[in-house]
Amino acid sequence: MIARRSERLLGNGLSSVSEDPTACIECDLIVEIGELKPGQRAACPRCDHVLTAPAIDGLTRSLAFALAACVLLVLANTFPFLSLEAKGLEQVMTLPRSAFELYRDGYTTLAVLVLGPIVGIPALMLGTMMALLVPVRRGQHAPWLVPAGRFFFLLSPWSMVEVFVIGVLVSLVKIGAMASVILGISFWAYVGFAVCFTASLSNFDRLEMWRAIEACRA
Amino acid sequence: MAFPAGTAAARGLACCHVCFKVAPEALHHCPRCRAALHLRKPDSLQRTIALVVTAALLYIPANVLPIMTTEQLGDATDSTIIGGVILLAHHGDYPIAAVIFIASVLVPMSKLFALSWLCWSVARSHSASHHERTRLYRATELVGKWSMTDVFVVAILVALIHLQGLMLITPGAAALAFGGVVIVTILAAESFDPRLIWDQLGEAHD
Repeated sequence: MIARRSERLLGNGLSSVSEDPTACIECDLIVEIGELKPGQRAACPRCDHVLTAPAIDGLTRSLAFALAACVLLVLANTFPFLSLEAKGLEQVMTLPRSAFELYRDGYTTLAVLVLGPIVGIPALMLGTMMALLVPVRRGQHAPWLVPAGRFFFLLSPWSMVEVFVIGVLVSLVKIGAMASVILGISFWAYVGFAVCFTASLSNFDRLEMWRAIEACRA
Repeated sequence: MAFPAGTAAARGLACCHVCFKVAPEALHHCPRCRAALHLRKPDSLQRTIALVVTAALLYIPANVLPIMTTEQLGDATDSTIIGGVILLAHHGDYPIAAVIFIASVLVPMSKLFALSWLCWSVARSHSASHHERTRLYRATELVGKWSMTDVFVVAILVALIHLQGLMLITPGAAALAFGGVVIVTILAAESFDPRLIWDQLGEAHD
């Protein structure tokens, strides 16, 4: 516990409210977060919820990982994802085509349910992130900052990138019993995309982002 | 209802759900991001319970109906979620069987029980530890999307195993029902307001 506290800067429950107070979103305690050095985290003194954890160069790193994730996501959608060989027959699967086949066979809802959380929503999130980070890092105001910020946090619970990677691994074992499966370039691109996307999100601190947007508008 | 001392709500301040700005609730809209301001999520318990019941109802067809149909040389076999887990265990693929069992059975079930219990404990002012209940809530938020694993597995199998005349896998109705369970439980966890757990501190002093 002592070790944990030393790496955190615990907020103080205050009796008077300062200019820009913060409240814990999980227990509503008013907390005053002082100046945080990059890399420090502020946690709620009552319920331990992490209020903000700005990373060192967080917004810049977030943008860098988002750019890498964009490139990898394009690759993941262009080349074969998995291919299957059984009794001389070969079947190649790409991500967009697999969703298209579901759609063509009449499983439209399922196609949306699958491709949405693994490609569609992450792509929208990456686009929104760039629209936010490029002007905010320069301290420039842009008319779309506030709606884009709200849109981003509306989407974020619905991205299931890492779940899909596990899903692919499980299906490999399931199919492995029946036929030999070859992992395509796109599979590795998607794994790389999942890593970069997660890294980008973990450097993207919500409170830091909104305070930066507010500073740009002022 | 008296809000406990030291909270934003006790001063008539609301913490914005979107950008965490603390502003007077009387403004109705967040001055920073223009989202609607509420002291607490509106009708949190009613909405959470309604969504938990919906998910529980959807969970029945998700388990009873087949999640996919395998057609092999003219023979069609339906498999359910549990059937798939048992089959994997029979083949000796215990780790994969465990992954599917945890993602498709354990996670959604415990999520539904946890959310129901949290709602009940708040409505009945149960004296269980605030810290433990908050941790339970965080866990339900964190694990929710992992239930989607089996839906993804079905989608991959359907897309990949499309060998005409040899082997064909088609998705069953349970895949959709189960996807529905995942979406509805995520919405249920989002509509529960963990601050209600801590609001009981105020009631105790009345």
